[in-house]
Amino acid sequence: MTNPVIGDQQMPATHPVIRLDRLSKSFGSVQANKDISLEIHRGSVLALLGENGAGKSTLMSMLAGQLQPDSGHIYLDGAPVEFTTTDKALAAGIGMVYQHFKLVEAMTVAENILLGQPRGFWLGKASMGRTVRRLAEAYGMHVKPDALVADLSMGEKQQVEILKLLYRQSSILIFDEPTAVLTPAEADSLFATMRRMTGQGKAIVFISHKLEEVLSIADTIAILKRGEVIDRISAASIPSASELARRMVGRPVLLQVNKKPVPTRQVVLKVAGLQGGGLRGIDFELRQGEILGLVGVAGNGQKPLVESLCGLRRPRQGTIRLLGQDWKHFFSRQTWEKTLSYVPEDRQGLATCPSLDLLDNFLLTTRGGFVRGPWLQKEPARARAEKLLIEFDIRPPDLQTFAWQLSGGNLQKLVLAREFFRKPRLIVAEQPTQGLDIAAAEDVWNLLLQAREQAGILLVTGDLVEALALSDRIGVLFNGSLAGMIERDDPKGIEQIPLMMAGLESEASSSAP
Amino acid sequence: MAAGFRILKRQEQPAWRSCLIVLAAVSLSLLLGLLLLAIQGTPPLTGFKVLLQGAFGSRWALEDCLIKAIPIFLCSLGVAIAFRLRIWNIGAEGQFALGAVGATWIALSFPGLPKFFLLPLMVLMACLAGGFWGMIPALLRQRAGTNEIIVTLMMNYIAILFLDFLVYGAWRDVSGFPMTAPFPPGAVIGTMGSSSVHWGLTHCLVLGLLVWIFFRFTRWGFEIKASGDSVRAARYAGIPYDRLVVLVMVLSGALAGWSGFLEASASLNRLQPSIMAGYGFTAIVVAWLARLNPLNIAISSFLLAGLRVGVEHLQLDLRVPAAFGSILEGLILMTVLAGGFFMRYRIVPRSRS
Repeated sequence: MTNPVIGDQQMPATHPVIRLDRLSKSFGSVQANKDISLEIHRGSVLALLGENGAGKSTLMSMLAGQLQPDSGHIYLDGAPVEFTTTDKALAAGIGMVYQHFKLVEAMTVAENILLGQPRGFWLGKASMGRTVRRLAEAYGMHVKPDALVADLSMGEKQQVEILKLLYRQSSILIFDEPTAVLTPAEADSLFATMRRMTGQGKAIVFISHKLEEVLSIADTIAILKRGEVIDRISAASIPSASELARRMVGRPVLLQVNKKPVPTRQVVLKVAGLQGGGLRGIDFELRQGEILGLVGVAGNGQKPLVESLCGLRRPRQGTIRLLGQDWKHFFSRQTWEKTLSYVPEDRQGLATCPSLDLLDNFLLTTRGGFVRGPWLQKEPARARAEKLLIEFDIRPPDLQTFAWQLSGGNLQKLVLAREFFRKPRLIVAEQPTQGLDIAAAEDVWNLLLQAREQAGILLVTGDLVEALALSDRIGVLFNGSLAGMIERDDPKGIEQIPLMMAGLESEASSSAP
Repeated sequence: MAAGFRILKRQEQPAWRSCLIVLAAVSLSLLLGLLLLAIQGTPPLTGFKVLLQGAFGSRWALEDCLIKAIPIFLCSLGVAIAFRLRIWNIGAEGQFALGAVGATWIALSFPGLPKFFLLPLMVLMACLAGGFWGMIPALLRQRAGTNEIIVTLMMNYIAILFLDFLVYGAWRDVSGFPMTAPFPPGAVIGTMGSSSVHWGLTHCLVLGLLVWIFFRFTRWGFEIKASGDSVRAARYAGIPYDRLVVLVMVLSGALAGWSGFLEASASLNRLQPSIMAGYGFTAIVVAWLARLNPLNIAISSFLLAGLRVGVEHLQLDLRVPAAFGSILEGLILMTVLAGGFFMRYRIVPRSRS
C-alpha cells in the first residue's frame, strides 16, 4: 500500500497529530498506565496489542476524554491539550468506535448519524439520506441510509458507528477490538474502509489481540503489558506472526515463587468431550495437589468453559465430573465447605453484591457454615470475617463498608479470603491477579500454592508469566479447544506456547481455512 | 454550546439524605395537591386544615386511621417482601380479595365451630387462597417467562370479579342485597376494650415483627436480600433464586390474604363488594415511602390511612371529589419514585472552561 499524501510509511516524516507524553494513570494502588509515550500519525494505523488488563482501554479512555491522566500530557498538533470531557475530545477530532455499539435500534441509519448533531434535525429527509450515502460511498461502505438499525448485521451497525464519526469529521479514529463481532468477510471490508480513511489522511488507532490482523493493517505496533509499552515496532520489520506472538507474550521468564512439590492424589475434575457454546471438544483431568494453568488469548473459549465448570451454564455436550460426582448431581446438592470455589474475573458483578456490606458479602458463599436451623448466625460470622479482614489486609478493615466502595484489589482479596475460608477441594481461579499490584499478586500466588496441598486448582489466565510460575501443567486454549497440554518441565513445549496461543501451529498442520 | 447540567453518580447515600428526599417528595406532592384544590375552587389552606383535622384531630378520627391502617399495613408488608427480591408484585389487591373470599368460605361453611377454632381456620384459608393467587404469577414467570407486573395486575381484576360473582350469586344473602349473610359470632374478631379498633392490630404487630426477624436473622431473609441486590451473584453463590421467587410471592400473597380476612371478619362482619377499597394499591405507595422497612411501613400506613380519612372529611365538608385521595396517593408515589433519582445521582452545572 502506497500513499502519495503521506510518503514513506515506515518512517513518517510528518510531525505526529497526537503525541502522548509519559501518561500515567493509577486506580488506587494499581498502576493501569505507566509513563506511556506514543505518537499517532496522519495517514497511518497504530495498533495497540496486549492482553486484557494490559492498559489499552485506560490509555484510549484518556485520549477520548473519559479519564484524566494523573501525570503526563497529550499534544494535539504540537500544542498541549486537556480532554476533560468526551465532548472536548470529539471537538478535537478524536472519535472512538466502541465494542458495544451505541445506536438507537428503532431509528434509521441516517437518523442515528444525525442524532445529536447541531442543526442535524433541520435537514430534510432526502438531503439527510443523500449526505449519508455520499459519505458511505466515499469510504467504501454499503449501508443504506433509510434502513432501520435493528435490521442491520453487526458489520453494518459498525459502519453506522464509523459514519457517525466521519460525519463529525473526526480525524483520529480509535477502534476498540472492531473485528471481535465481525465475520471474516465483514472484517476484510472494514480493513478496506480503514485503508481509505488513512488514504484521506486520517489517523487510526486499532486495538486488538489478533496478531494476523494487526500485521495486515497496522503501520506501527505498540505492545502493552502490565500498563507499560514494552515494545514499539514498525510492522514492516516483523517477519511473521509468530515473531509478533513471541514479542507480545514476552520471553517465557520464570518468576521465582517458593514452590515445593506436592504429591498429586485423586482426580477432582474430569472434563470429557465438552462441546457447545463456543467449545469444540475439551478433555482434561485435574488432580488434587496440582495447578493446571489454562492460557490463551481472551475469547477462545475461557468463558463458556469456566461457566460450565462452575455451574452457571449447563454443559450441552460432553461430561463434567467434579469431586467424583456428575455435573447435575454436584450442583443440585452443594455444600459450602470442602467443595468447589470459584474466583471469577468479574469480582464486582458476579463474586460480590455491590450494595451489600462486607459481612453480607462474606456470608454470600460461606452462609452454609453459619446456619443453625433456619437462623443465620451473624455474630460468629462477624468474628470470623473480622479476623480475615486483618489477615488478608483488606482496606478499609470495616465490615460495614459496602462492596462497591472497595478498590478492585481489596475486593479481590475479600473474595479470595472468603473462598479460601471454605477450604476448597477444587479451585477455579480466573485472572486472579488482574488489576492487583505486584505485592498483592505475589500474596495471591502464594495462597494458591498453599491451597494446592488440599485442592486441585484450575488457573485460567491470560498472563503466561503467571501460568508458568504456578502451574504444574499448562493447557493452551485456542478457538474453543485445547491446542496443547504441556508439562511444566518441558522447555521445548513451553517455547511453543506463544505460537499455540496465536493458533499458528494448528494453521501449519492444516491448510484448510 | 448552551450552559447545561451534568448528571453524576453519588459516591455515598447516607440515611439522612434519603429521609430528606422522601420528606421533600411528600411535601411537593402535598403542594401539588393544594394547587389542585385551588383549581377546583376550594380554598387550599382551609382544605389542608380540614384534611389534617379530619384525620388526626379527634380520638374518633385517630381510631379510624388505625382501623384503615391495619389492612394497608399487612398488604404493604407483603408487597415489601416481594419488592426486596425485586419482584414487582402489583397484585396485593387481588390477593386481598381472594383472602377475604377464602375466610368467608370457612365462616359460611362451618358456622357452628367455636371461635378459637374457626378464626385460625379462616386465617389459614385466607393465607392459602392469597398465597395461591401470588404463586400463579411466580410460576408463570419461571415457566413461561411472563412479566410479573402485568400478570399480577391483571389477576387483580379476575379476583375482584370473582368476589363479585360470589356475592351477587351463590353467596347472596336472603335480604337480596349483594352481600353475604352476616358472619356467625365465632367468625368475628372483636374490638379492643372501649375503642373501635379491632384485635387485628395485634396481628399486625406480631406479623411485622416476624417479617423483621425473617429478614434480619434467617438464612432465607439473607438470600432474598442478596438476590435482590444481584441475581448473578446469587446464582454464583448457589442461591436457589427461582425457588425464592415463588417463596416471596406466596408470602406476599398470604399476608395480603390475611389482610382480606381481617377486613371481612372485623370491619364488615360479612363479605360485600365494598371490601375492595383499594388498600392493595395504597400498599405499593406505602412500601416505597417506607423503603421496604417494616417499622417505616407501620408509620407510612398510618399516614396514608390518615390521608384517606382526611379526604372523607374534605368530601363531606368542602365537597371535594373522592378521587382527590387517589390523586394525592398517585402524586406521592410519583414524587417518591422520582426522588429515588436524587438519592443515586447529583446534578452539577456543566463547567465551561
